[in-house]
Amino acid sequence: MTGLPDTPSAAGSGRKAREVRKPGRLQRITEHLRREWQIYAMLLPTVLWMVIFLYKPMYGLQIAFKDYSVFRGIANSPWIGLEHFETLFNNDQFLRALKNTIIMSAYGLLFGFPVPILLALMFNEVLSQTFKKSAQTIVYLPHFISSVIIAGIVMTAFSPSAGIVNTALGWFGLEPVYFLTKPEWFRPIFIGTGIWQEAGFQSIVYLAAIAGVSPTLYESAVVDGASRWQMMWKITIPSILPTIIIMLIIRIGNILEISFEMVILLYQPATYETADVVNTFIYRQGLQGGQYDFAAAAGLFNAVVAFVLVMTANTISKRYSRTSLW
Amino acid sequence: MRRLSLSIAMLATTAMTAPVQAQDYPIVDAPLELSIHMHWPRAQGYGVGGDTSKIYPVEEAARAATNIHLIDETFGKNTKDSGEAMNLLIASGNMPDIVGGHLIKQPVNEFGPQGAFQPLNDLVDEHAPNIKKFWEDNPGLKEAIAAYDGNYYYIPYLPDGKYGRAYFIRQDWLDALGLEQPDTVDELYEVLTAFRNNDPNGNGMKDEVPFFARNWEEAIRLVTLWDARSSGSDTFHDFYVKDGAVVHPYAEDAYRDALANVAQWYEEGLIDPEVFTRGSSAREYLLSENLGGMTHDWFASTSGYNVALEGKVEGFNFIPFLPPASPSGRRLEEHRRIPIKPDGWAISHTNENPVETIKYMDFWFSEQGSLLANFGIEGEQYEIVDGEPVYKDSVLASGDPVNAQMWAVGSQIQRGYPQDYRYEWQWTRDSARRGIELYDQYDLLVDQFLGVAFTKDEQAIYDRHWPSIRTYMLERQQAWVLGSGDIKADWDDYVETLNDMGLQDVLEVMNAAYKRQYG
Repeated sequence: MTGLPDTPSAAGSGRKAREVRKPGRLQRITEHLRREWQIYAMLLPTVLWMVIFLYKPMYGLQIAFKDYSVFRGIANSPWIGLEHFETLFNNDQFLRALKNTIIMSAYGLLFGFPVPILLALMFNEVLSQTFKKSAQTIVYLPHFISSVIIAGIVMTAFSPSAGIVNTALGWFGLEPVYFLTKPEWFRPIFIGTGIWQEAGFQSIVYLAAIAGVSPTLYESAVVDGASRWQMMWKITIPSILPTIIIMLIIRIGNILEISFEMVILLYQPATYETADVVNTFIYRQGLQGGQYDFAAAAGLFNAVVAFVLVMTANTISKRYSRTSLW
Repeated sequence: MRRLSLSIAMLATTAMTAPVQAQDYPIVDAPLELSIHMHWPRAQGYGVGGDTSKIYPVEEAARAATNIHLIDETFGKNTKDSGEAMNLLIASGNMPDIVGGHLIKQPVNEFGPQGAFQPLNDLVDEHAPNIKKFWEDNPGLKEAIAAYDGNYYYIPYLPDGKYGRAYFIRQDWLDALGLEQPDTVDELYEVLTAFRNNDPNGNGMKDEVPFFARNWEEAIRLVTLWDARSSGSDTFHDFYVKDGAVVHPYAEDAYRDALANVAQWYEEGLIDPEVFTRGSSAREYLLSENLGGMTHDWFASTSGYNVALEGKVEGFNFIPFLPPASPSGRRLEEHRRIPIKPDGWAISHTNENPVETIKYMDFWFSEQGSLLANFGIEGEQYEIVDGEPVYKDSVLASGDPVNAQMWAVGSQIQRGYPQDYRYEWQWTRDSARRGIELYDQYDLLVDQFLGVAFTKDEQAIYDRHWPSIRTYMLERQQAWVLGSGDIKADWDDYVETLNDMGLQDVLEVMNAAYKRQYG
């Protein structure tokens, strides 16, 4: 999980071959293939998978610029240029949804990203194996529960009459709050739920990275008299930093991918103001009415923004930390 | 069986007068196979529960009567979403002869004019006397299913029976507090206040929820108690027809004053404080915990709690009562069953036997076909007693719901057919029957808005504005009920915003389409 090699190994051998003699390009490729065919054979399934499931569907993206009819098909639907995008940007509710998406993602990143790292560091310091194993199981568990159930749990927990949250508020003499209809409470509840559901499972990556740190480093640190705290700051964190950065870049690439099924399950017209995100907007506006072309335009815009974000994050990271996705 | 009784001589006369058994059965001499797509919630495929290796007994009977054999060719069997299955089917370009099932109206009316389905107007006029008679007996329905080009492209499933939801109240709570059934909205206010304050469930705690609902939209529907409207059809928040023009209830002045009252009731705790999030389990939970006092919900399923909770909640008696009269003295039950469903079946452009197919569809509107489509097989599921179809005891007392038994034999499935209310009445519980009879004594119902078919340009205007307007309306509505904002103070801004968002444009295309369609 610690980044990909910077240069493909094939480049080195290619240069050597060129110094000796200059065989034809085709000849070089065929020879290379004959020698390394097993490696390419191993690559093939992934490439095929990418082509079939990720590249071929891109053909359909053109419906964002078309007046699409399922019956006429993609090729026979007429082009209409940027009309769908104009409609999109002239819609105040889209702009609001975009703003909400960015705010919720930013908060999610700010509060949600460090938690799995902290969890992993904490698990790493736990000595009792029994405690560690059971604690890990408990924090992984919510990941495996369906969003519908999670939403049900959240709704019950925040219910004004029977919910545990309002019961607890009652002990301090506070009036019950109908949290799920208050726009100002939606984001904290949504982000908190997301952390509760996913933090444990996401910590696995970091635990794996920690397990990969060479024990000799810790042994020599112990000899030098380092405390556990110093070992964490000087050995563990620097060693897993490349993993952290890769995860951060991936996370930034997915920044507009709010788990919208959760939003749909939790939001109300009363909380649209802070809860409506691009995907729920697309769902209400486009898919419920069968406007696939319009929904494709909104989705394409989403993807373009995500692409720009991930490129930027990668470039910055490459420049300052020498860790990058490519 | 009946085909022998129909002679050629009879046929000659049928074109003039309309004795309904005007077809000549069997429709074809040699068996004719037609392929069918039939995708609906209970079965993804034309076979028992979607298992197409099992042929419905009703299909066997129809084959014997018509000599037309339906062969399953359903798309999207791995999804329960019928709309998705329909899109897969149309995108594949490989359409079976008959395309049927759930929610076909929208795709059929969109792709029909593009050539995917055959227009049925002339086919029905010339070859389907039973369907034609049904249209004549029920004016307005044929218009309601038409596409924007004026043709219609599918034969719908036509539900029977008028009443859907009704007002229910805990009669035993009324008795405990010595109160009468509320007859006006003011009396209802008194009763709900008493439910809240006077501990009708007798547990010493103020935990009663006077009015509750499974759908929060039903709390909004209380505006009908003050002469406003919440919807014009069995879909929530729909347009309605007022003095011959289509309007939206949430942009009417009556709504402003009525919703202010609903907000007042909510604030006073007469409406479930959690009505917006309680969801579908509200009725089950609040009734079985002896907490809920009144609701607006379906006759049949709600009255079922009297049986389900017998002995569990002492004295439980949850009965339908008349809609309380508004201050102007009007009683309105806004919800009713829609007479026409977006489900049914259509003839695709690839079908080479449209005449035989429409005759086959017409068969299900004949007396014999209608009995088959509604009640199953004579002698197996029902008997004719005094000219009426009556379910056998083996069906009524089997413990399985009658509708599930019908689906298993191939009746009451979403082909295009006229439903017969005698089917449901036979297994409706007594308390619901009494309620329906009570509602039947008054003129409580209003005509439904059955929707319009837009041209392409009209559709574009509607799609551009309406989803956002609707979102805004619902946002404000919940805010007002929850007490953030005062509807009377905000009203002028609200109406102005609606107009800025294009409400007038939407109403304009709505009315243009309405006039074109219904004249």
